[in-house]
Amino acid sequence: MNPTTETAWLLVGTNLLLFLALAPLFDGIVRRVAARVQNRQGPPLWQPLYDLLKLLGKENIDAVGILPFRLAPLVALASILCVVMILPVAGRATALTPYADTLTLIYLLTLGGVAVLVGAFSGKNIFALIGASREMTTMIMVEPILFMILLLGVIKTGSLELTTVLYGTPAGDYGWSGLIMIVIALFALQAFVGRQPFDIAEAEQELLGGPFIEYSGPNYALFKYYMMIKQMFYAYLPIAVFVPLLHSGLLVVDLILQLLLTALVFLVIGLLAATHPRYRIDQALNYFAGLFVLALGAVAGALFG
Amino acid sequence: MRKELEAQLAAQLRDEVVCVEKTDQRTIFIDVKREAIRRAARIVTEAGGRYMCGVGYDNIARDGTLGMVHTFSMDRNDHFICVRTKVPAIDPVMESITPDLPSAGWSEREFMDMLGMQFTNHPKPKRLVLADDWPAGIYPLRKEVPYDLVPPGADDVAYQLDEAPPGTKIVPIGPFHPSLHEPEHFAVYVDGETIKGCDYRGFMTHRGIEKLCQTQVSYNEVPFIAERICGICGSVHATAFSQAVESAGGIKIPRRAEYIRTLMLEIERIHSHLLWLGVAGHLIGFDTVFMQAWRVREQLMWLCERLTGNRKTYGMVLIGGVRRDITPEIADDIRAVVKKIEEELRVIHRAIEKDSSIHKRTKGVGTITKEETIAWGLIGPVARARGVDIDARRDHPYAAYNDMKFDVPVLTDCDVWSTLVVRVLETYEAIRIIHQVLDKMPAGPIFVELKDKIPALRHAITTVEAPRGESTHYVITGEDNRPDRWRVRAPTYTNLQAVPLMLLNEQFGDFPIIMGSIDPCFSCTDRVAVIDLQSGKASSMTRRELEFLSREQLHRA
Amino acid sequence: MWLTSKIKQILMVMKPGIVTLDYPRQPAPAPATFRGQPVWDHHKCLGCGGCANHCPARCILTRDVCQELRVMLYDGSRCTYCGRCADVCPEEAITMSNNFQTACDDKNDITTRLELFMLTCQRCGRCYEMEKTNVIDRMELRGFRYDNLESRALIRQTTDTFSPETLAATEQYQRPSR
Repeated sequence: MNPTTETAWLLVGTNLLLFLALAPLFDGIVRRVAARVQNRQGPPLWQPLYDLLKLLGKENIDAVGILPFRLAPLVALASILCVVMILPVAGRATALTPYADTLTLIYLLTLGGVAVLVGAFSGKNIFALIGASREMTTMIMVEPILFMILLLGVIKTGSLELTTVLYGTPAGDYGWSGLIMIVIALFALQAFVGRQPFDIAEAEQELLGGPFIEYSGPNYALFKYYMMIKQMFYAYLPIAVFVPLLHSGLLVVDLILQLLLTALVFLVIGLLAATHPRYRIDQALNYFAGLFVLALGAVAGALFG
Repeated sequence: MRKELEAQLAAQLRDEVVCVEKTDQRTIFIDVKREAIRRAARIVTEAGGRYMCGVGYDNIARDGTLGMVHTFSMDRNDHFICVRTKVPAIDPVMESITPDLPSAGWSEREFMDMLGMQFTNHPKPKRLVLADDWPAGIYPLRKEVPYDLVPPGADDVAYQLDEAPPGTKIVPIGPFHPSLHEPEHFAVYVDGETIKGCDYRGFMTHRGIEKLCQTQVSYNEVPFIAERICGICGSVHATAFSQAVESAGGIKIPRRAEYIRTLMLEIERIHSHLLWLGVAGHLIGFDTVFMQAWRVREQLMWLCERLTGNRKTYGMVLIGGVRRDITPEIADDIRAVVKKIEEELRVIHRAIEKDSSIHKRTKGVGTITKEETIAWGLIGPVARARGVDIDARRDHPYAAYNDMKFDVPVLTDCDVWSTLVVRVLETYEAIRIIHQVLDKMPAGPIFVELKDKIPALRHAITTVEAPRGESTHYVITGEDNRPDRWRVRAPTYTNLQAVPLMLLNEQFGDFPIIMGSIDPCFSCTDRVAVIDLQSGKASSMTRRELEFLSREQLHRA
Repeated sequence: MWLTSKIKQILMVMKPGIVTLDYPRQPAPAPATFRGQPVWDHHKCLGCGGCANHCPARCILTRDVCQELRVMLYDGSRCTYCGRCADVCPEEAITMSNNFQTACDDKNDITTRLELFMLTCQRCGRCYEMEKTNVIDRMELRGFRYDNLESRALIRQTTDTFSPETLAATEQYQRPSR
């Protein structure tokens, strides 16, 4: 094995570790921001991690008793971890990146969502069913927006390769279509991470957690972990796509800058979540439809403009 | 007014009116024969009466009858009209007035459960108050039933829900659900995300308070128990009960005490509306509004701690006056706190009044028309947000409200947003009233000694405008230093009956906020009584004998 | 409108700052006028039983063990802290402390039991200044009291003279249960 592949494998490990460790911290940032907007002290920054540990230590209740119900959380977490492993680190491809392209990324992200649906549909709980149907509707509307964002990169760079698509866009100039896409990414951010005003599927006040209502203990912890990592991925995505790399030559410096920017995105997420009521599903659909049309326009602009 | 009504009744009912009695300036009691109850109710409604509640009472020991009172409020000219009738206990059948007055539905169902009355032509003669496994033929509010009877439970009975409309799924909301806060059950019929109907099975927190106070405690202990009917409008219930007893017993309380009662009621209104504002924010998923409103409210809770000794259950009201005086220092304290609350509430108000994302969730949601509102007899901010201009503080002034200058905000948008605005505006009015109370408060005693015994079997009705709408209390005084019958009708009791109407054809996601918009208080609604005896025992027994008898039975069981 | 509202919503937190307390480590003391747990001064108590007669929660019980010895039991687990007992006490033997943190493992930790040696009035067995109370307060309870201290139940029946039947009844009395 030559030294470069070794470094590449090291990058996979670094990425995994970073996501696993920082996802709960970033979730803690959101909670702390919300607490400050509400004049509260708020929980410790590592509270989400403590929650996870506590849930992992609890009894695993198999509420439904069929295999899909037990497998769903594993599949969800595994799929998002796969996403993390193929993800380039600060513009440098990892050992696994060459095996995947942009489409694989989208497939894997969708797989996580599908696992949530499978878990919800495997029970007979009416709240889980309503939540799952809302989740599905949201997915159908939001995934295309994600697709458009990546498609713009594909068009701009003329390649499907992951590193190029994710980090290549700022290199070629934004153009007005790129600027529109930044706005779209910002407006779709809350939907990507599933927070107010778009936490419609979980909607504690009416659906009591929606798709996850039957889950408890370690199974639920896996789902929670999945949600946190997914949230971190989606917060990191606009940074990767739209913010140019520092190219300081040092991987660590680039990485730290990107992580700081991600933390900033989480600040925005926290502020937005704390200052919005939850939208109704029909209102959310109208909103997404508008974004989608705008995104189509931006892609068309990139193609012909 | 009274003459007109009497003439109308006499002309249309002739000799079916037994007598008309006027105990005070405000209340008119009309005794009619049972055949005429529906027609009498209709005449009173046509004359402008708004249905408040029904009161059933057990009079078996005296003349072998069960009494039923339908109470109406004439909001224009400050009258309460109580249409009384009685039916023999062996044949307790009378005609239902629910087909004419939908809001009487629950009152009648309640007394089917509690007193064994029967109402012909009732559109939904289902069990309302009693548990599903409560044995048939045991009527807890009857005097022969001991207050602490616990009949054996059963597992094989369940409430039969209304037929679901075709193509709908049933979503069970409650007994435990984050948007309810109290154990109640709604079966919501949804088609996709649209609500097509709903059935309600509540009264799960039924504590038997009315029965307890009719059998166990004395007059001046009841205000403390009344205060615990509700965790939010406790002072309202204590005041309403005390006023009812004072009215029945002809007790005149000092003016200063009336001012202090007014003060407590308005403080309670501020606290309740701020609480509601927070809960409403939480119900649409906007927790910042929740935290901010409660932060502002917290100062008031601390003020109450200094003022009365407790955050919420003030314990200020007694029959004959109040317990703690307002010193000049505490008056300054109140002024300062209330002023600060007004400032901070205005900040919140400005921050949310033009927020389009809140409008999205509240405007055009939970709409019912003004006509429906009047037909269902809705009250409080729910009615005032739908263009119905009623407020017991102005229409039936009590305590010191006749000295106060205040506006009654009325909006006509008929949706959840306008109930929110009405409540915020009312909070400002409450602050205005508090300043007036403190400025105008006369000197003098705060409590009057009760020299004479309160005469038995006097009827009295009072309403107090609770933050959620008027609370109606009906008291029949008794011999044993306690009420013979005490009926509490909390505002939610009326407003909840119209919630299925508000929910119809709305989105399921709006269920929490529509439900929340009436500011439901289930514990207020549930109160009342519990218990029984196997068969109709000789009703001439004294209470003391009965207690022993019932204890013996329990030991045997 | 949307943006200005959002900005206002974020700005409205600036002035108050953080208002929540780090509760157990940063306690918020109750004001002096607070109605907390009632405290008995057994030096002042003359055993009139007025508090027991007025307690809406029925958590003050009285039991005459014999002519000279009266036991007063305050059951803190049922108390609603209304302060009525302190109001009616003719000797001001009851004060409402500002202790509200009464959670404990054992009921007996918040229970007060007074055993009072009674100088009995020959007529009624107790001393209670009737002039100070009103008609409503003047309950007809006089003579011996037989509340059931073990099951913490109040027996609303007393006798002017000793009656073995009542005593037997209170001994057997239990809260109804399934």
